[in-house]
Amino acid sequence: MNKFKMTAGIIWALVCLLLMIILYFGLGSFSAGLAKLPFMKLNPHASGGEIAQQIAMENCTLTIRKPVFDGLFGERKKGFVQVDWRGNIPEIINDTIDYNMDNSPDFVIGINRLEDKVNLVALNPNVRDVAISTSTSRGWAARVNIYNEK
Amino acid sequence: MLDSFILGLSSGSTCLITCGMVIFPYLMAGTAGTRKIITDLSFFLLTRFLVYFILATLAFYFGKVIFTSPVFRNYISGILYMLFSGMLIWYAISRSRKPDCPAKIVETVNNRKLVPVLLGVVNSLGFCPALMLILTKSATEGTIIQSYLAFLGFFAGTALYFIPVPIAGKFRKKKVFETIGVMATGLAGIIFMIKGLTSLIGGIIYG
Amino acid sequence: MDEAIKNLTTRKSFGKSLLYTLPMFLLTFILMTGGRPDFSDRSGTIALLTTFLGLNILYFLMHYTGKTDKFRAILFIVFALTLSFTLIKNTIDIRQTMTYSQGDILECNMPFCHLVIPMLILPAAFTQSIIYPGSILGGFASISAMVVLWLAASVTLGRGFCSWGCFYGGWDDGFSRFRKKPVIRKISDSWKWMPFAVLLMVALTSALALAPTYCDWICPFKAVTEFEQVTGIESAAKAGIFISLFGGLVVVLPVLTKKRTQCSYLCPLGAINTLSNKVTPFTVKIDRQSCNECYKCVQVCPMFALTNDDVKNGNVSIFCTKCGKCVDACPTQAIHYGIKGVPANRMVKFSRNLFLFVSFLFIAVFASGSIITVIKSIVNLFI
Repeated sequence: MNKFKMTAGIIWALVCLLLMIILYFGLGSFSAGLAKLPFMKLNPHASGGEIAQQIAMENCTLTIRKPVFDGLFGERKKGFVQVDWRGNIPEIINDTIDYNMDNSPDFVIGINRLEDKVNLVALNPNVRDVAISTSTSRGWAARVNIYNEK
Repeated sequence: MLDSFILGLSSGSTCLITCGMVIFPYLMAGTAGTRKIITDLSFFLLTRFLVYFILATLAFYFGKVIFTSPVFRNYISGILYMLFSGMLIWYAISRSRKPDCPAKIVETVNNRKLVPVLLGVVNSLGFCPALMLILTKSATEGTIIQSYLAFLGFFAGTALYFIPVPIAGKFRKKKVFETIGVMATGLAGIIFMIKGLTSLIGGIIYG
Repeated sequence: MDEAIKNLTTRKSFGKSLLYTLPMFLLTFILMTGGRPDFSDRSGTIALLTTFLGLNILYFLMHYTGKTDKFRAILFIVFALTLSFTLIKNTIDIRQTMTYSQGDILECNMPFCHLVIPMLILPAAFTQSIIYPGSILGGFASISAMVVLWLAASVTLGRGFCSWGCFYGGWDDGFSRFRKKPVIRKISDSWKWMPFAVLLMVALTSALALAPTYCDWICPFKAVTEFEQVTGIESAAKAGIFISLFGGLVVVLPVLTKKRTQCSYLCPLGAINTLSNKVTPFTVKIDRQSCNECYKCVQVCPMFALTNDDVKNGNVSIFCTKCGKCVDACPTQAIHYGIKGVPANRMVKFSRNLFLFVSFLFIAVFASGSIITVIKSIVNLFI
């Protein structure tokens, strides 16, 4: 039994040696393999949610994402919807957003990028307030807090 | 009452996690077995039931004006969190003290009923969206009995999630889990302290 | 006894040390250059060669002197300093400030560090997603690459990752060496369980918030990397907390106690790595026959991994990070690197050589990037 333990220990140590040698050579492949696993995708709270619609405007693109209500178990009562502007966006933004695609406007968001001021007019009672309004490397993004309709 | 029960079911998991981060370490830190933990849990749930009873009464008679006031929410939750955090931290410190410590107050805080009771108060007054909905519903009910029934349904829905909690009693046998539980209780106290402070300061500054 | 000590010594002759260094020489060269050395850029070449030589000299000295800890610590501390410098420089180059904005978070531009890993587990299990705003694959410090590196290191080294891989550990390791003698000597042994309590709380709170709460609120190393802009009470509170924790647990307490207090009292990843000590084949063994119970190992251990009772029982606890301090301090060489299953005082040299190769290879390649960046920046100042 002692000899077996000793042999097993030494073999395991040698396997670790091999593992360490191939680790860096195969880091790209191992990482790519791990990235394919089902849980290796960003939570909507981090990514902002899937893109629901993209609207091409004069010089920029307005992206409206799907509302995020994800909780640890099921959906939460409160969530947010993220709106992104990319491209050559104007200094004053004033856009009407329909985030649930029911053909009725849900809120009007006005952003003064120079003064970093934001104004929200809620047209849907589920719309609460602006959580974040910030510049990004590609333009501007805003997250608006909303209640879950369900 | 059924829709309140369903609301409770849907938000109970959040209640469990919010409370779980305090109640689980606290129960780990104790030396009680599963039976005694059921007693603690019963005190916790009973406290929640009583607080909901009081809230149902207040909501019916005073309407939703008080409870939707952000200042009221900030101050009440802030002070409550601070009190509760102080108690948790004191509990953690007192559990680590030597047994011959003469300070009588240590015994009071070690009273096993006090923590679950205060935990029940804090959990009930969490002013989560689900609770706000129930308060609004109660304020608009026709009779006080209907108000009570709305809260009863909500309480029943959330209480179901706490049934597995006595499993924490299984960990009591290992001293190391007790140590970790005491430390985690103290940390939970610090978390509530920070939460309470930011809530209070936010209430003072933003009005 | 003297004869036994002489036979056990892990020192090697100059020639033998060079021979043992040769595989490391070759592997580090291939891995650092990617197999295609490019010497066109002068400052890059100087930085590469300096780093390459420096690393291999340290490894050579480990074999030549038979000592482990001080050479490991040089690399470990340099790694921590250069990584912080690299991160801060990178942040300032892009944003002209050490702070990150909400925009960086929304764009999932946050570099991933291994300390986040404990917070990902529960949410990944329940929501099948990662709650960190970083890059899954590709870019600087992607989530996949860092997880792979940490997993491999944990499996092979166990908690040795904390002394041979963690790019933050060098901070409190360095500060713990400031004084010759500790000011605070008596510390309760129970505190070493605190990281488990922190692990429990950050796991629960991160699952509740679906955000990495340790990173958001209590990571002390934000003081030496990047942190959220202070825009309100909450962000100000966060800044206050991480500066206090860095000052207290990373600077002051290690200086006063000569222990790695951040790693021993706060780090939730350290708690998980403690459990991975059960998986690794490498360990530290105490030979009861050679031990004279001077308890010098207990005094010098920076991680609370040894108590007097442990020494009497001949066992090092699961908190051991295999830093080598106790091994170097032992006057009778009773404590040494070993392999599980192999009895104490057997195959001592083989075990040490094997462990050193595995652990040093890991840290050398891991650290080389940031060391080269810093040396290149310094060289660019002069040429």
